[in-house]
Amino acid sequence: MGRYIGKRILTGALTVLAAIVLSFLLIHLAPGDPASILSGMDSPSPEMEEALRVKYGLDQPLLSQLWTYLKNLAQGDLGESISNSRPVAELIAERLGPTLLLSLTTAVLSLLLGTALGIYCARRAGSKLDAAMNGVSYLFDSMPGFWLGMMLILIFASSLKILPTAGMVDLRGGYTGFAHYMDVLKHLVLPGLTLTLISTPYFFRIARSSVIQVMSEDFITTLRATGMSESRIFNKYVFKNAILPTVTVFGITLAYIFTGVAVIEIVFSWPGMGSFMLKAIGNRDYPLLMGIYLILSISVAVCMIVVDVIYAFIDPRIRYS
Amino acid sequence: MKRALSAINGNIQLKIGTILIALLVLVALLAPLLATHDPYVLGDELTAPPGAKHLLGTDGLGRDVYSMLVYGARTSLLIGIVAAVISGVIGTLLGGIAGFYRGSVDRTLTEVNNIFLIMPTFFLILLVVAMFGSSMLNVMLIIGLTSWVGNARLMRAQAMSLRERTFVLGAVAIGESKRQILFKHIIPNGIFPIIANTTMNISGAILTEASLSFLGLGDPNVISWGQIVFNGRSYLTSGWWISTFSGLTIVVTVLAFYMIGDGLNRVLSPKLRNNN
Repeated sequence: MGRYIGKRILTGALTVLAAIVLSFLLIHLAPGDPASILSGMDSPSPEMEEALRVKYGLDQPLLSQLWTYLKNLAQGDLGESISNSRPVAELIAERLGPTLLLSLTTAVLSLLLGTALGIYCARRAGSKLDAAMNGVSYLFDSMPGFWLGMMLILIFASSLKILPTAGMVDLRGGYTGFAHYMDVLKHLVLPGLTLTLISTPYFFRIARSSVIQVMSEDFITTLRATGMSESRIFNKYVFKNAILPTVTVFGITLAYIFTGVAVIEIVFSWPGMGSFMLKAIGNRDYPLLMGIYLILSISVAVCMIVVDVIYAFIDPRIRYS
Repeated sequence: MKRALSAINGNIQLKIGTILIALLVLVALLAPLLATHDPYVLGDELTAPPGAKHLLGTDGLGRDVYSMLVYGARTSLLIGIVAAVISGVIGTLLGGIAGFYRGSVDRTLTEVNNIFLIMPTFFLILLVVAMFGSSMLNVMLIIGLTSWVGNARLMRAQAMSLRERTFVLGAVAIGESKRQILFKHIIPNGIFPIIANTTMNISGAILTEASLSFLGLGDPNVISWGQIVFNGRSYLTSGWWISTFSGLTIVVTVLAFYMIGDGLNRVLSPKLRNNN
């Protein structure tokens, strides 16, 4: 088990490293020289150029520049945002909370909902309900998250006026304590619903196909031949085996959800990293964009490692190896 | 050809999907004939609701929504197919090499595969497009360069099982070079799941391009459905038809490609066929 966990941590670390190297390469490969990219000005003043040169070592060979970049990162220095003139790390820290709230809530909800529905339909495979659910799952899978979000706003917020249109809190409310939590919750419904609806189909399909697969295995037929009841077969044998692929896939789906959350945040003006990203794109604020990319990569890698460790404990084949 | 037609007929998903895509291709090819107005011309009636003159209404600058959707089909189809083909080629090559050669090559490529699986590639695409410009070519290339992971996995599994088959061992015995075997035997025989997966990748590419356009990073010179949804955002309550219909076309197109891909999977894979 130790070896398995060690390998997963290595992959996670390599992913973060790859993201860092890619960011670094992009600064140097993109049109325009690194100084103008990092400072945001087309022709930076000599003082600015000197400051950048000292900080990033721009006149040195590429590899030592990479080393300097890594050293800066290790100290938590992600550069300075051009449009906000504040350290990128500070800006991201302020916005990480809302993003994590939205994405992790959605991830867990879609995992539970998708798996439950998948199992339910798998046990009734071939029925009309199953076919209908399959169709619905394909439908939601085909929807762009931003479009679904806008449609939900149109229906629930604009027309029916039962839910807020945007933001995380009611700016005029000034709520504290419990009321504050309820306010955030009310604002979380639409963006969370949107993201959940587009992420659930994936879990649904995995759970369904995995249950169908396990139920068709020989040992299940043997158990049936011994006279064991269907429900006992399912609860004791099928469920545990079928649930494993879902856990494996959870980590990968998290990457997918972190991708979707940025666009959803923009649609709902949710004060997370996604909406920040839009402004950064508009301002060509590359240090901020790269910082967001890095932090998200690290978040996904960390979540994946956690999920893989959980998986190592659940799967007896790994636990006892 | 007859077998293909009967296969399509036998599977409801393939049938619906193929019909939809055929319609879409027709729309893209016959766009100048099908559009009622010139989609680039700014008209007089701003944000007009759907009516007799403008089938699906106009947007905030007076452009006819229906005509824009018709011309947008070209962009989405082109980007989707080219990006998916690029990712298919890269994935097939990398997966085939990994699965056939095994050893350290396999280990390295699998690790690269895992890295790209975890990495939030959408942001990488964002960064690249923001830095290198948002031309259609850039978008196609970068989407293709980041979505090869699924294809590589499939090809690798195929290669690993095919390399043990008698006809491959026979080729080795005759003395064919490894490269010849890879390209003459392994890849042509293992390509089928990749084709189904590539069809689904077309859906993914169209969605990614729509998201990029929605963020204002699409090619500004061509009409794209995501761009129309983006433009409609400011008019969500006053001109709901702009974003709604453009989004619906995206949904239908993506769904159609999914159905073809899923149908192909079922037809080509006996295991799935039993669950039908």
